[in-house]
Amino acid sequence: MLGDARKAQEVFQATLREATLRSANGETSSDPFWFFRDARWRCLEASEHGLQAEDVDLQKHDLSPSAPAQIERLDVNQLAIWISAAPEPQRTALAFFYLDEFNHREILSLAELRIGELSRLLADGRRQLQAWLDATLPQKEAK
Amino acid sequence: MRIVRLSRRQRLLASCAPIREELINDRSMRAAVFCARGSDEFAKQQSFDRAVAALVQSVPIPPEIGEWFSSESPIARPRLRWKKTAQNPAVLAIGIALAVIAGVFILHLFEHLHDFSGSETAQRLLTIASSTRSVLLDPVRTDAGALGDLFFMKHQLEHYDVPPEFADFHTLGCRVFDDDEGHRVAQIWVIEKRMQFFLFPAERNAKTGAAVEFSGWRYVEQEGWTGVVQERNGVCFMAALHGREKDLAPYVSKTKE
Repeated sequence: MLGDARKAQEVFQATLREATLRSANGETSSDPFWFFRDARWRCLEASEHGLQAEDVDLQKHDLSPSAPAQIERLDVNQLAIWISAAPEPQRTALAFFYLDEFNHREILSLAELRIGELSRLLADGRRQLQAWLDATLPQKEAK
Repeated sequence: MRIVRLSRRQRLLASCAPIREELINDRSMRAAVFCARGSDEFAKQQSFDRAVAALVQSVPIPPEIGEWFSSESPIARPRLRWKKTAQNPAVLAIGIALAVIAGVFILHLFEHLHDFSGSETAQRLLTIASSTRSVLLDPVRTDAGALGDLFFMKHQLEHYDVPPEFADFHTLGCRVFDDDEGHRVAQIWVIEKRMQFFLFPAERNAKTGAAVEFSGWRYVEQEGWTGVVQERNGVCFMAALHGREKDLAPYVSKTKE
């Protein structure tokens, strides 16, 4: 969500503190995703400060059969920065989706999206990531 | 290239298909993934998603954060609610089927609750009672209790005696005939409420040949007719009338008093 490990750690600790305070006051939430919701809003708040990604139309390429090989060559920090630079709510959708912990209904609830929106955001995200992979790690090089 | 035709909703769902199979716990999503599985496009999407997810899994987690996640899953999955479970068509269908089976079983149980050995014969005889006309019987005017001797003397029917409760009733006629199963049946028509009496052999045990006994009076109903049956010495006596159990009850309860 943030592309910055230090900021992410601060958000995590702030969320944890909030959870502890709520628990001490007997205000525990029945929502099993409260932690993720709270962390998401804190991430959005934190990302409003500092450098902002440019609002540009990214190129889109069809998914390539060699994409897994290209992704393998990718550095995890590069992927984190790429996702954190995506506009909201695409960033939330991609982050929750690739965390691989939630089903689609849970992502819809967490990202406050409808199925059509989530589908479009994920499909666009894949094609944009493929275009970026093709630009940074061309398929020939990947092989 | 394999192209699979999907509905618009299935296309939307397939695009959001979870990477891990365990997370496909929704019926519509399962159907969409099942249909999309044959397409090259979906196969590419899945291998792309798996590769990205594998990369995400390799993100190093600082130890001070990692120690907070002692369990493998940080998300407490909500328990299945009984209402949602009950709305599942498969559960609903099983529930309805079980209810129908239970209903049939209870109905069967109630139907046979008052059954006794000889109740089937008694019901058949009630059907005969409803269709019998007095002209079919030999006119005999005497007390019903006196006919036991007649049946013994004339037809060699031993123990075909009318019980004391009904022995004093004046008769209009009687006859002896063979029923469908070849049993000798004595039929008596009395004046009192145009009642009919039947005397027939009690059911016998198939192995030992001994009469199956039962105690007291048992009621049986058939097409608006009611009979009250008693077994004695291997012979059943039934008093039958066109009416209900309450019409016969006073005659039977006399002896108890």
